[in-house]
Amino acid sequence: MRLVTLATTLAAAAAIGLGATYFAVTHSRGMDIVRLGAWQGWPRSGTTQADPYATAAFARTGELPLELADGLLFLADHDTAGAPLDGRCDIRISGPLPQSRLWTLTLTDDKGALVPNAAQRHGFTSAELVYEPDGSINVALSPRARAGNWLPTGARGRLQVALRLYDAPFSFASGAQDEGQLPRIVTERCP
Amino acid sequence: MSFASLFRRSRPAYRSTARAPGPVERLAAIFQAVPAAPRLLLLPLAMALVLGGIVHLVSVLAMPRLAQASAYQRLAALAPSNRLVLLPETGDGVLPMTDPAFVSAVCRYDLRERPLKVRVPQTGDYTSVSFYTNRGLAFYALNDQAAGRVIELDLLSPAQRAALPEDEEITAADRLVVESPSTTGIVLIRAFARYGDVRDAVRKQLEAASCTATQ
Repeated sequence: MRLVTLATTLAAAAAIGLGATYFAVTHSRGMDIVRLGAWQGWPRSGTTQADPYATAAFARTGELPLELADGLLFLADHDTAGAPLDGRCDIRISGPLPQSRLWTLTLTDDKGALVPNAAQRHGFTSAELVYEPDGSINVALSPRARAGNWLPTGARGRLQVALRLYDAPFSFASGAQDEGQLPRIVTERCP
Repeated sequence: MSFASLFRRSRPAYRSTARAPGPVERLAAIFQAVPAAPRLLLLPLAMALVLGGIVHLVSVLAMPRLAQASAYQRLAALAPSNRLVLLPETGDGVLPMTDPAFVSAVCRYDLRERPLKVRVPQTGDYTSVSFYTNRGLAFYALNDQAAGRVIELDLLSPAQRAALPEDEEITAADRLVVESPSTTGIVLIRAFARYGDVRDAVRKQLEAASCTATQ
């Protein structure tokens, strides 16, 4: 009886521990999460102070994290209202961008793979985009062709948008943040 | 039954009820109030949670050591040691989550024998070089503007750095020395392709970059 209890306890402990680890490395990119509206950033994951969860997640996926001295990565898989980004919907990313030497906006599926499309268009760089008169950005994600800055979503289910700011000031990574610093993501219309 | 008998033996402390019950007595009282069958489960459950926490921490910390598809292992098949290799054009490349607007080259370094010299030419646009240990820890990065001109630096292991003569002329500004916390790792060189059609030109320019063991 005692042996059975012990064996069950140890098995449960292993299941709890390994299950939590699996969940952590598949769902997290580190503990130092910075939330700005719909966007999430992990400024310390690309430094020597990366926490064990970040290093474990990157070891599993084989990703080389963007170094903070190089740039800063922000990911969004939900819109500003909190709904998941759906490739069948019309989604608009609009608003100002913080100061940086250059930036890129990349559209991927929820696994981080580029969305295949005939136009070979996977995102915009700061040099390619047509800006609004006030200098802010306005990008449309849609399965159908749209006027202006359009990114085809291929009618895929879940999407993820990566915003990379290169040579951005460090104060932005750590200091005071408010949501208005990064563009809003709004789901406009769903079929 | 063993767990129940364990607690029955500790009951005498509870019998001295001259003063108000302390926190231990109160906890014991709560424990006694739980029906016998679930009570038997409490201790194993607590044990499973604590041990599970330990297993979780150990496995997270061991992950970089045990991973089978880390960046260093993925590049082992592609790039020989101390040689610069341009990564194939995107379309599910070797490394996940790379920026498709950049042309990347990698160099898997091994400092066991000799230090490494890294040279990155100017491409006319944003160019950066970043260093990672074999476990994927980012330890140094530099871009063309911070370097001021062509990026040229020496990568040394801690032992090689310690053996470096403390000559002021050598540590002068014309030589950038970076110390690697590990003897093996990855140098990642990335150049920005402003528009899609300059990509091939940037790729050509990046072919001039080098990563060689010093003599």
